[in-house]
Formats: sequence, C-alpha cells, structure tokens
Amino acid sequence: MEAKEEISDTDSGIILHSGLDSPIIVTKDVSTHTRAVKLKRQSLQDRLELCILELKKLCIREAELTGHLCSDYPLLPGEKPPQIRKRIGAAFKLDEQSILPRDEDSELCSVEAKLALQQQIYTAAHRLCHEEHLSKAVKKSRVQQCKHEEQKLKELQDSVFQLRLEYGRSSPRPCIITQKHHGTSDNSSLSDSAVLDEEELTSQSSQASSEPPSITELHSVAPGPSLLSLNPSGPLLHPPELRPSPHQPPLEHLHPCHSPSLEYDPAPIQNSPWKESSLDQPYQKQKKSHSSSTSSSPASCPTLPPLETCLEEVDLKLQIPKHTALRHTQSSSTPSTPEMHLRRVLSLRVPSSDPANNAERDRGRSRGPRRRLTDVILKTPEYSPITLAVGNPVHHSSSEDSNSEHSSAPSYTSSPCQELLAEPEQLRQAQHRYHYSNHISPSYVTHRYYKNSSAQLSPKLYRGYIDEGRGHDMDLSRMYIRHQPSPCINGHYEYWYEEPPLYQQGGRLIPHHLKLSRAPSLKEYAQHPGRALPRQVVSDELKSWHQRCQLRPRSLDRQGAVRIRNLPLHESPLSHRHDFYDQVPQRTADRTPVKWYEEEDQEIVSQV
Amino acid sequence: MSYIPGQPVTAVVQRIEIHKLRDGNNLILGFSIGGGIDQDPSQNPFSEDKTDKGIYVTRVTKGGPAEVAGLMMGDKIMQVNGWDMTMVTHDQARKRLTKKNEDVVRLLVTRKSLEEAVRQSMMQH
Repeated sequence: MEAKEEISDTDSGIILHSGLDSPIIVTKDVSTHTRAVKLKRQSLQDRLELCILELKKLCIREAELTGHLCSDYPLLPGEKPPQIRKRIGAAFKLDEQSILPRDEDSELCSVEAKLALQQQIYTAAHRLCHEEHLSKAVKKSRVQQCKHEEQKLKELQDSVFQLRLEYGRSSPRPCIITQKHHGTSDNSSLSDSAVLDEEELTSQSSQASSEPPSITELHSVAPGPSLLSLNPSGPLLHPPELRPSPHQPPLEHLHPCHSPSLEYDPAPIQNSPWKESSLDQPYQKQKKSHSSSTSSSPASCPTLPPLETCLEEVDLKLQIPKHTALRHTQSSSTPSTPEMHLRRVLSLRVPSSDPANNAERDRGRSRGPRRRLTDVILKTPEYSPITLAVGNPVHHSSSEDSNSEHSSAPSYTSSPCQELLAEPEQLRQAQHRYHYSNHISPSYVTHRYYKNSSAQLSPKLYRGYIDEGRGHDMDLSRMYIRHQPSPCINGHYEYWYEEPPLYQQGGRLIPHHLKLSRAPSLKEYAQHPGRALPRQVVSDELKSWHQRCQLRPRSLDRQGAVRIRNLPLHESPLSHRHDFYDQVPQRTADRTPVKWYEEEDQEIVSQV
Repeated sequence: MSYIPGQPVTAVVQRIEIHKLRDGNNLILGFSIGGGIDQDPSQNPFSEDKTDKGIYVTRVTKGGPAEVAGLMMGDKIMQVNGWDMTMVTHDQARKRLTKKNEDVVRLLVTRKSLEEAVRQSMMQH
C-alpha cells in the first residue's frame, strides 16, 4: 500500500487523493510506461522517416542518372513509384533492354544499337521527304535518300531478327518499335515536339550527307562526329564506331519515348453513349424491334404527302380517322399485344406488295400515297373492332348471332355455304389468291381490297374482306362479303351496340354458325399445306392473349364503348364497308348476297 | 471499387441466382443493365469510379425474378454463369444474360454496401 501511494505521489498527482483505489493506480503505472514507450517510438519513427526521405532522394538522384528507378526505393503500400526523367534529354527514355544487359552479347547489342540509330535516320529522311516548298530536284534526291535509308533499315531489321533467332530470344522487339515509329512519323511529324530539336539536327545532318555539301556546311550543321560517320556509307561496315555506349547523344536517339505514339493510339473500341437495356426481351428481338421502329415508320412519314390527299385518292376519307382513333384507345387500354414482331414483318412486306399493285390498273398513282395508304391500313386489322370480339369471345359470337336473330334466320343457315359454292369460279380464285397472301400479310389484302373498290367506279359487287380477330397477325377468322353498298346503315350500329343482352341470347348459336363457316376454309387448307405451322403459332399466341385478356375484361368493354362513339361519325358509305360484320342484318334486308366464311381459328375462339 | 492498374482486382461479391420467368417465348429476368466496355463510362450514374466500364444493374422490376433473387439497383455484375462481365461489351453482356436455353442465371455481383459490411466486420475482429 505504501509503495503504491508513493508512486502515485511521484506522478503528476491528479489521482493523489484516490489513495487506496488500487485499480486506478495500476493503470496509472501502465500509462506512464506507455507514455515513455510512445515517446521513444515517436522519435524512432521520426528518424525512420528522415532516413526514408534521404533514401528516396538518393534513389531519385540515381534514377535521374541511370534512367531507371532502383529497386529498393521505399514505397508505401499503394504508393506509385515516382515518374523519373533522365536529366539529360529528358524527353527520351532509354531502352533498358538494349542498354542495360550489356554483358549478354556484344554483337547483338551493337546491331540493335545500329538498328535504333538507323530508325532515327530513316524517320528524319522520311520527314525531309514530306517537307513542303521544295524544289523538284531536292525533293527527288530526298525521296531517294529516304528509300535508301529504308532499305538499310530493313537490312538491319533482318540481321537483328536473325541474330535474335540465333540467340533464342523470343520477341523481335525492334521490329515492333519501328512499325510504331513509322506510324507516328507518318501521320504527324510535328506531333512530338519535345524530340523535334534534336531530330531536326539529325535530319539536317542526314540531308547534308545526302546532297554532297561543302565541309563548312557540314560542320555548322552536324551536331556530333559520330552521326556523320554513320550516315554516308552503310553503318553495317563500321560496327565499332556505332557502339552507342560511349556516346550519349546517339543513345538518346535510340528510342525516343514511346509515350506519344501510345497516347495517340485510338482505343480499340469506341465509346458509345451510355445506355441501358431491359433484359425482359430476348436478345435479338429487342434489337430488331428497335431498328424497325426507327426505320420503318418515321422513315416513310416525312416523304409522304399529307394524309388527307392520300385518303381522298382512295375515297377513304373518313375511314382512316376512325382507325387512328381506335388505335390510340387500344394502345392505352389493352394489354400489350404479344405479336408486335409480326406486325413488323408485315410492315416489311408492304413494299414487296407494291409491284403487284403496280401490275394492276392504278399505275398513275405515285408511290408516296400508296405507301401511306398501306401504312394506314396496315394498322387497321390489328385495331379493327373485331379484335375486341376475339378478346372477348362472347361478344364476338353474339354480334353475329344477334345479327342472325334480327335478320331472317334462313338467310344465315343457307347463305354461307350455298352462296359460296354458287360463286363464279373466277371470283373464288381471286379470293383464293387473297387467302394466300393474306396468310402472310392481311394488310396487303385489305389494301388490295381498297384498291379494287376505288378503281371500280360503280361496282355492282363489293368484295369485302375483313380481317378478323387479331387480324394482322393471323387469320383467326375472316369474312368475305359480297354486297351492294347501302348508305343507310347508321342506325344499325347504335342498335347493335345498345342492346347488349342480345349478345348473350345468341350464344348457343355459335356452333351452328361455325360449322357452316368453317367448311370452305378447310378446303383452302388442303391447298396450302404451308399453313400448318402458322396455325400452331396462332393458337399458342392466341391462348396467351386470352389469358391476358381474361385478366382484364373491363378494358375490352371500354374499347367497345369507344368504338360506338367513333363509328357514328362516319357518314360515307365507303367507311361502312369496313364494318360489314355488324351490318349483316341490314344487308340481308337489302337482299344483298352475304357470304360468310370464317376460318380455321374460329374454333379457338369458341373454345375459350 | 478502386484498384491499382496491373494488380488483381479484389471485390466482395454476392452470389445471386435468378430463375427466369417464362412468358410464352420470352424469358423474363426483371432487370435492366447498363454499361460495357463499348460505352462511355463517365455517364454511368451508378459507378463510383467513373472510368469503370463494367456492367451495372440500372433497374430492377418490382416483384420480378431479379428482385426476388436479391439483385439491387446499382449492383455491378462481375460474372454471369462463370463468364466474366467486367470486360465485355454491352451486347455481349445482354446476350450472356438472355440465353434462351438457360432458365437460371447465376450472377456474381458486387455493391458498395457489401464491401462496407465486410470492412466493418473486419474492423470489429
């Protein structure tokens, strides 16, 4: 106890009164110790730092003399070694490999040194060749000189290469260096300004030697005797003089620092602006869709005349606005259509359909409007109201069934098949043709249809084609209708749309109707075996589509509503032609022959 | 993630296994990537080091497969199924991630919070 108190007394006395409190005293004892140790450490550290600094200084000095940093330069972890520049001719970095391992082999070294010198000479000569404002004679001689030097350079390279092979060194480094050097000196000889002064001298000296000058000139221009001795006759003949080791100036020229050439090398891959890409689409598809969206639609637009004029040409003035309007609503309310890529295919196909149209009668038309037309119509199948029907099969079937109920029932049961069979052969063939092309691009068919209608000034028969279902994509179900245009259809729309209960009533009639309608399409199937595959695709796609649609039936209803609003706006009879499917009762009342045949995929619709 | 040129890069990585969601013909991963050695790295909002040309996760769909697997926005993708992603072009990365015949992608990703967590745990010991 006494001892402890004593110790505490000798110390600063802050904890003096704590007296018997032993733990504190113990810590105090330790703290004094540590303080002493710390002080000692501090002084040692300071000394170490000084030493390190001194060592660094020495190392740097050495590096400045030898051109490379000594290996025991103290580096803190993560610290970069300092950039060392040689004091003399700081723009150049010595090539260690040709200078430092002196002991290895004298012959190879000397040849390498020669080669390095020759490179300098060659570049200088080359630069002289490309100097501007030269008289012809001078230029000629310089070109000659340049070629001469080049020749020598090649000889040297060969000999170095041979030697290297002999001594088993792997990399013919000088060759690479020369290539690099040629590159820089070729494209911009003035770029490496640091080297310029000295090289100017060498070049002048080489020039001097090439055009036999007077001795005074030589002396005034040439920087050192060694260079002069090199130039005139092949340096191969004077190996001892060429040994670079004793002379500093030529050494500097051996390898002018490579950094400029490296800096000017373009990156192998150019940066493009930073972008992101979603990984939810398959790789290729996304790329294509991107390109098509940029290339197809905007590309065609600017060259085309205004929409109105195009439409007037085909008497479709009022029809188009409806579809565009529809398109907007559709795009906002339906689930994203799964067949965007197919649409792309269509748009790509449109130009190919043009020649066929050209073959037809309307030659007078310019390309622009027609393309515009196809563009517009191209979209219609996809957004045509019937899409709704497919999405919501009840509506679809009921629409026809309501029709059948209001029209006379027999007209329905009898007309589809019989009429079709009674149809003139040529017409069927035409339709068959439609089917065929239709299979790939219904838009094309619709397009043709419009063409026909516009061309026939007073047509007795309109051949209507409507691509039903998901239209552009697949021929889910189609209608071909022959009828006479009747102007008084407007009321019908309202009727049809404002009595939704009817849809439900007619539901049971579907099978009957389908049975009737599918027969012709099967016939066509036999004619086109190629359809088998697309059909599969259709059914697959359709199923997924249905799944989505069922998730949000409301949006579909809304579309129906939108359509009602849109339709009554259209007064022109032509505009109605597009909507035959819901005009059937009216038509039958007019005793117009109405033909329905619906195709293969109708059954899918009914399944759901 | 800083590194000294010439030295091997060390990073704390997390293994993430994403089971792609099949949607028809599509395989959905539920995230977006940005970057690549062909893109201007200085515009990358996620990288600390603006010269880093790695592939970064720029978006993660809520509830998507990637989010379920634990991928986060701003993650740097180091590997995909064992393939290096630190020195690839943007398209190469996309190709690698969206292979149609692979239903599962295993990623090695690194992120700042990961490294910090590791550093802290090392300081404690």
